[in-house]
Amino acid sequence: MPHVVRSAILDAPTDAVWNVLRDFNGYDRWHPAIATSTIERAQASDKVGCVRRVRLSDGSELREQLLALSDLEQTCSYCLLDTPIPLFNYVAHVRLLPVTDGDRTFWHWESRFTTRPEDARRLTEMVSEQIYKAGFDAVRAHLKQAA
Amino acid sequence: MARVYVSTVVNARNDRVWARVRDFNGMPNWHPAIAESRIEGGEAPDKIGCVRDFRLRNGDRIREKLLGLSDYDMFCTYSILESPMGVENYVATLRLTPVTDGDQTFLEWTAEFDCAPDREAELISNIGGGVFQGGFDALKRAFGG
Repeated sequence: MPHVVRSAILDAPTDAVWNVLRDFNGYDRWHPAIATSTIERAQASDKVGCVRRVRLSDGSELREQLLALSDLEQTCSYCLLDTPIPLFNYVAHVRLLPVTDGDRTFWHWESRFTTRPEDARRLTEMVSEQIYKAGFDAVRAHLKQAA
Repeated sequence: MARVYVSTVVNARNDRVWARVRDFNGMPNWHPAIAESRIEGGEAPDKIGCVRDFRLRNGDRIREKLLGLSDYDMFCTYSILESPMGVENYVATLRLTPVTDGDQTFLEWTAEFDCAPDREAELISNIGGGVFQGGFDALKRAFGG
């Protein structure tokens, strides 16, 4: 089972980063791979169990469900329900931890999924680079813009 | 119960940082506050349950017991058996996590303990700001940032 782990240090306090990440319906505001996002059934985006429908910049659509959200731990977990990409049983976890030395943020983003063996390498690379790494850079830019 | 949480980032891969800090008897090699250390009973310093008896540069003597050590998750947990600090039920953990974006290491050092209420703030400051951050500063210097 492929396991993707990426992490980064952001030069901002965890509260500022969490403020961006906790909105399960707000990734289209900062992530370059995501064009639009809506929550199904008009539910609140911090209601655990809500489903977001996301259109990617290439036009394809996917649905993801919020599995866990904690303002105390600054963590969130979600899974893919429907996707045009052969990522199955995809569950991802986002976790923020404070870097007390300098009031910065350690951001940990990981997932596991199943796929056909011949796709494993390509999809691991795609999730790692185009989703997670690109996400780190995008939130850095987003926070800089907001400042 | 008082809690201490201190964290930092060191400019080196986690395996290099781990090689420096995993030796339960090796604090004098990297922590500026520790003068000397030995493991009681001639046991190996990575044998769970071993006890280190060390002396700080200020003369204080502390005995600590190794409760957990993981080369896989890169953490080390230990308790204080004897110290002049006035703490009870003291358990601390030093944990390393890789920062994939830039080959750095995220270090967390946490402790929980009981003490007299009027000494809590002072102890948190001494342990967190003094001992833990002092160790982090030394590691940052050793690894160039």
